[in-house]
Amino acid sequence: MAGIVEIKRLVKRYKGNVLALKGIDLEIYRDEFFVLMGPSGCGKSTLLKTIAGILDYDDGELYINGKDMKNVPAYKRDISLMLENYALFPHMNVFDNVAFGLRMLDKDEEEIKKDVMETLALLELKGLEKRFPNEISGGQRQRVALARALVIRPSVLLLDEPLSHIDYRLQRRFASLLKDIHRQISGTAFILTTHDQHHGLSLADRMAIMNSGLIEQVGHPEEIYNEPHTLFSARFVGEVNTFMGEIQEVGADSVWVKTDIGYLKSRKPNAADNLVGRRVGYIIRPEKIKISKTGENAENSVKCIFEYLNYFGHYVEAIFRAPHNVRIKSTIPTYNLPNFKVEDEYWLSWSANDARTIIKPSVVEGVDIEDLIYGR
Amino acid sequence: MFIEKYGKYLLLLPGLIIIVFFLILPLILIVIVSFMQIFTFREPTLTLQNYIDFVASPQTPTILLNTFGMSIGTALLTLLAGYPAAYVLAFKIESIKIRNYIISLLLVPFFIDWNARTIAWIPILGESGAVNYMLQALNIVREPVQLLFSRWTLLIIWLQTNILFAIFPIYLALIRIDPDLINAARVLKAPPHRVFYNIIFKLSLPGVVVGFTFVFVNTLGDYITPALWAGGIQVLGLSISSFAANFVWPYAATQSTILILIALAVLFVLFKIVDIKKLVE
Repeated sequence: MAGIVEIKRLVKRYKGNVLALKGIDLEIYRDEFFVLMGPSGCGKSTLLKTIAGILDYDDGELYINGKDMKNVPAYKRDISLMLENYALFPHMNVFDNVAFGLRMLDKDEEEIKKDVMETLALLELKGLEKRFPNEISGGQRQRVALARALVIRPSVLLLDEPLSHIDYRLQRRFASLLKDIHRQISGTAFILTTHDQHHGLSLADRMAIMNSGLIEQVGHPEEIYNEPHTLFSARFVGEVNTFMGEIQEVGADSVWVKTDIGYLKSRKPNAADNLVGRRVGYIIRPEKIKISKTGENAENSVKCIFEYLNYFGHYVEAIFRAPHNVRIKSTIPTYNLPNFKVEDEYWLSWSANDARTIIKPSVVEGVDIEDLIYGR
Repeated sequence: MFIEKYGKYLLLLPGLIIIVFFLILPLILIVIVSFMQIFTFREPTLTLQNYIDFVASPQTPTILLNTFGMSIGTALLTLLAGYPAAYVLAFKIESIKIRNYIISLLLVPFFIDWNARTIAWIPILGESGAVNYMLQALNIVREPVQLLFSRWTLLIIWLQTNILFAIFPIYLALIRIDPDLINAARVLKAPPHRVFYNIIFKLSLPGVVVGFTFVFVNTLGDYITPALWAGGIQVLGLSISSFAANFVWPYAATQSTILILIALAVLFVLFKIVDIKKLVE
């Protein structure tokens, strides 16, 4: 199956020869909800605007529907874009804003009216046709921006940080609205950028983690969460405990890593040979950690001091202090919460199969593993 | 108590005094005088005669047409010439430094005395001036052409002296346009010329209206330039000044009132067509 968007070794230079995109390879399929996720400045918006045709690219190839997009202006591409600040036309009312794209396509007014009213109904905007952008609420403005991008029925709908300027409740509502609409209309790929991992994970059919103009990893959210290729993607998707260490021993399907909190066993990393002596990151997800009063007969167990709880409603995060002042967090469903006592000793344990030893800090060259873990 | 509540309005006072005493009151006086008839040995009387005389005068249509035709024409021409310059300044020159240099250059003529600037038209448009020299050198004409002292001279001179008043408001309106609005239009299938008309031009209309107002009002009140260069065409300002110079105050006041009323009417219609309030918000 050929992708609706195909990107090959895409390079974008900003003024002063700063590389914004350093060679992106990506394929996005029809009907897919694809999320580009990464910290601010990682190039995700640049990539989106390059696909849209607002920005030009310097090297590599970009195909939409199999057609080469070099020198194809934005208005001739089969895409639509919802911009981060919505960019509603202030001199047009809601109806005219939404109708803009259809009018540019020279559809007849009857058809435009029908399509616009349909889209407005779909996004719960009926009755606001005559209002101007400065006369409606932030959430309504956002839905108008979506309606305007959606109504021209592009093959690719690009959404630049649509969830970043509204409060949490509206974010949730808008995210589920997006998911609903994506299910209802077929033949359209959604590409969304976000720096928020919760929305990224929950919306994506597939996602790409971006870092400094490169893609760290592409895959289903679950795949990236469970099998991160680099420490960067492990730490960007979900919560994780990371321990800096060195591989001491390699077994048939497991490795032992020497860390500040002791020797820890994990599943053997897929990749390389010469594992012994490599500096690595040892990771374990907080929900995989079991807490007990007496050291269980587990593959990994560490004696810790309980420090405090972070309450999140349906779950809590318990913070422990391991040897050498290393912090470990564990998440526990609230209904199952034991009565922790501050400064009491507990044993934290987990199985080697749930832990991962990650060799590569990042696909970006020159990132030091220690700098990444200790955030220097 | 009183100072706390209304103290802030005291700041309006100096400006308000100047406007009331030197603009509003004189204007009211002009309107009152325009209804008077003055006799040498009698008290002045109130009458409509001045207005009747104005309407009945065979010169009136020509004068009105000259005055408002030249002003509106100049304003439109200036906008037409100024818009591309403002557009280039706002969108095509990315370096703020170069932009500021160009803006400073545009301001240079204002450092030169009005008289000097006026006289400078002789070596430019005169019979042995630069333009005629060029036309002859290029064999376009054999004898020098009369370029000074006509309606067209006035148009060229007004265009030159007023173009900055068109460029600036348009430029200010253009740089206020969010580039993402242009991007949004582009991804919404608008080809460049429709992006320009639907987004850029429409959002710059407040600047266009302000530019028009500046140039229109400027040229309407200027009777010296027409007197010097226009080759004897009559405009209302000139007529007012000659009646005033001959102490026929009431008739000069009548013409002034009519000038103001028509100017206000033109601006009123303009602001009705272009809903400036909606655009500025």
